[in-house]
Amino acid sequence: MSNINGKVYALNVITPMKPWKTWILRTAFFVLDHVKPLQQDLVNLSFIEFARWVVIPRNDFPYLGGDQKKEVLKYDYLLFFSNFNGTWNQYIDAFSAVLSRGLNLIWRWSEKFPGSVPVTLFKEYIARVQFDTDYYYTAYPQATANDLKSAHIVQSSFDSLNLVAGQSNPQQFADAYLHFVLAVQDHLGETGEAPVVG
Amino acid sequence: MPNKNGSVYGLTILSPIIEDEKATPSHDLQIRNYLAKLSIREESPFAQAPGTHLARLVVMDDVIYVGMPACEEHLKSKYLVFESNCDGELDTYLTGLATNIPEHLDAIWKHCVGYPGAANCEAFVDYMKACQLDTTFYFAAVNDKSVPESLRALQTQSAVANFIATHQGADPVTLQRDFIEFAAHLESQPPPPPGSMGPYREIKTGGRNE
Amino acid sequence: MSKLNASDIQGFVLRGYNLPVARYLFLHFEDATRARSLIARLLGHITTGQRWDAGKPQSTVNIAFTHRGLEHLELPLATLLTFPVEFQQGMRQRAALLGDTGVNSPDHWDPLWRNDHIHVHAWLGINGQSVEALDTRQAAIQSALDQTGGATILACQEAAAVFINGKPTTKEHFGFTDGFGNPDYLGVERSTQPGQGKLMPDGKTWAPLATGELLLGYADEAGELPVAPVPHLLAANGTFMVYRKLHQNVATFRAFLDRQAALYGGGKEKLAAKFIGRWRDGTPIERSPDKPDSSIAQDPNLSTDFTYGGDLAGARCPMGAHLRRVHPRDAFGFNGRLINRRRITRRGLPYGPFAAEDQPVSDADDRGVVFMALNASLSRQFEFVQQQWVQYGNDSHLGNDKDVLMGNHGGHGRFVVQGDSSNTNPPFVCSNLPDFVELRGGDYFFLPSITALGMIALGLVDPR
Repeated sequence: MSNINGKVYALNVITPMKPWKTWILRTAFFVLDHVKPLQQDLVNLSFIEFARWVVIPRNDFPYLGGDQKKEVLKYDYLLFFSNFNGTWNQYIDAFSAVLSRGLNLIWRWSEKFPGSVPVTLFKEYIARVQFDTDYYYTAYPQATANDLKSAHIVQSSFDSLNLVAGQSNPQQFADAYLHFVLAVQDHLGETGEAPVVG
Repeated sequence: MPNKNGSVYGLTILSPIIEDEKATPSHDLQIRNYLAKLSIREESPFAQAPGTHLARLVVMDDVIYVGMPACEEHLKSKYLVFESNCDGELDTYLTGLATNIPEHLDAIWKHCVGYPGAANCEAFVDYMKACQLDTTFYFAAVNDKSVPESLRALQTQSAVANFIATHQGADPVTLQRDFIEFAAHLESQPPPPPGSMGPYREIKTGGRNE
Repeated sequence: MSKLNASDIQGFVLRGYNLPVARYLFLHFEDATRARSLIARLLGHITTGQRWDAGKPQSTVNIAFTHRGLEHLELPLATLLTFPVEFQQGMRQRAALLGDTGVNSPDHWDPLWRNDHIHVHAWLGINGQSVEALDTRQAAIQSALDQTGGATILACQEAAAVFINGKPTTKEHFGFTDGFGNPDYLGVERSTQPGQGKLMPDGKTWAPLATGELLLGYADEAGELPVAPVPHLLAANGTFMVYRKLHQNVATFRAFLDRQAALYGGGKEKLAAKFIGRWRDGTPIERSPDKPDSSIAQDPNLSTDFTYGGDLAGARCPMGAHLRRVHPRDAFGFNGRLINRRRITRRGLPYGPFAAEDQPVSDADDRGVVFMALNASLSRQFEFVQQQWVQYGNDSHLGNDKDVLMGNHGGHGRFVVQGDSSNTNPPFVCSNLPDFVELRGGDYFFLPSITALGMIALGLVDPR
């Protein structure tokens, strides 16, 4: 069991919600999705590879019949799955520091949520509602979200240069090459192992 | 379509695990034991089947009691959570799993209620869809590149950085000639295998790594 | 916020003394009772944060303890367990996390720091106007040691500002001018400069950081009291200190710079400036990308006042330059809010003989810098910066690349100097980076308040 694979961490969180609050949450997500500030902030935080929220209404736990007993629950549940780079502490520190309003908008409907600021109580809550990953796979353990974005920029600049490489004279190529280096100079970091944690 | 973000699909599956007091060890523990021994690198089943960027399997024992005044309640079954971030359409992805890694799927999901086996693709896909949850909000940092494209880009990035570093101050003729050779070589190289930690090491002639 | 009681805080925390020489004594306690009576005897020597209205003293004294030191002073176990995990473990056990591997690994440390049986319990820092002043003060301390039998001195480390033409400077051994960039904190009286605090939402002005980023017992940047040991009275007005003795391979550095500069269109001094983010005279290259400018370097209103927002591609100051790595300012967006809790206060001095550019040097010469940093949380501040921003580069979008000067490269790794299309500022890649700096030892210390020192001396620490 490990929550970590290479440079990425798998966080699983489940929180209970009173069913009447679930509708408010769905509206909040709709607003956040269409007003776009949350998506942009998440992009700018740049250490999340993939993240999702899943609402499970209390009657909608998958039921396949047979010997399975049907669930009888008071609460709806909010599941959160994140795939992020960096340490658990760094991740929560960053969210608390710059995305506290968005977080509050999503989690205030969950029971006993203390608010995303200040951070120590928030971390205690997450630690309590987090459950651990049994198996975690990534196709690129040596790369973070930043590494991937940089890699795609290098690939596309390389493809453009490659197109003209054979058709220019050396001086033209040298100019195109300089142009190419300037386009990729911020994107050449090596990939590899993650820093050792604790 | 909430499950999709660009070209990436956010698949969330919750499969109820068989509750059988007579099973020793219990079905959830058997799943855990199997997963504990499964490779997370190139030999992972998700590296053998196409299209998985990141995926996790979690045995969810129960909901979590957050403390008074919230009520304490419990699930009647345990659930196997399968969260996958994958390329393409759902049917293609699931069929790809059933076709490429049926033994692994069976070994894991045979402990779940109503699992029909991966031998029958259609039944398998229907079963997974019956266990699927709708993703309410899905975020992807890079949402328009497939797994093979990403692996190739990482390889290119590493090779390009080396080329730039070793060609500083080169004269234009040498630079152009070397670049064309470099590009041809890079294009002929297979991309690194999914799940691996780094650049693909070629095995040169003679079968030894030189 | 409450006004700081400067008489209760050790002076070393509140200000850099600007005294040119120092001697650090490392003590070992045998018997708790005698050790406590030594501390009681030393209390009269300890320099507080009160202002020196009568002029600078000849010498100052400050004291700090490792976790083992606190154990040997027989603080209650319940108290000892409330200290942060990283402090309890000590810096040596955190080596993998800090990237202290290869040449920096504890196997290569000075014997003082890797003795498995006799550990450092306390640091006694003497700063002075002259070596004679240090000697005088040390003699007085020795007399307290003799009279109480409270401790033995395991070793001394000399340190001194680099003197040029008989005057102390803030230069260090690679030739760079240091001494900028200590943060401003609310309530700490010192000459403040724009650029040292935290960035305001307007993206241009600066305000002091919350006091709790430096001192325990005060609100920090997260809007809460930082996690601290109990009882409150032991922790309040105290802080944690990192001590790292960094050997500098000046010969390797000079040779490397010469070799790389021969290929670099901007010339040697510019390349050196690109490594750090300041020209050798201290001018920030973000403000003056083409040449050093003493009118900026020597003006406190300008020398630390800059941001990277207008240079996101790194063409003026490289993305991986040392300064930009350890104090990113607004480089990560969000108006700098992501970095406000990652600041540290530095207090160190160089050690070893200074050699000017034209004098021969060898890596074997015993010279370097005693790096000391103060922060309320070792793991959140110093360790984070070391692990994530010095020995790694993802937050700067540099993947695994390490800080060019401080990283433990082992002959590998790259430093990319981003540039533009001009001949004097070309893009440039330095490869096969050697280890310019080698860690020779150190540890984590707790610097208590005067009140806490008194409690420790009297054996009155009660964990409730």
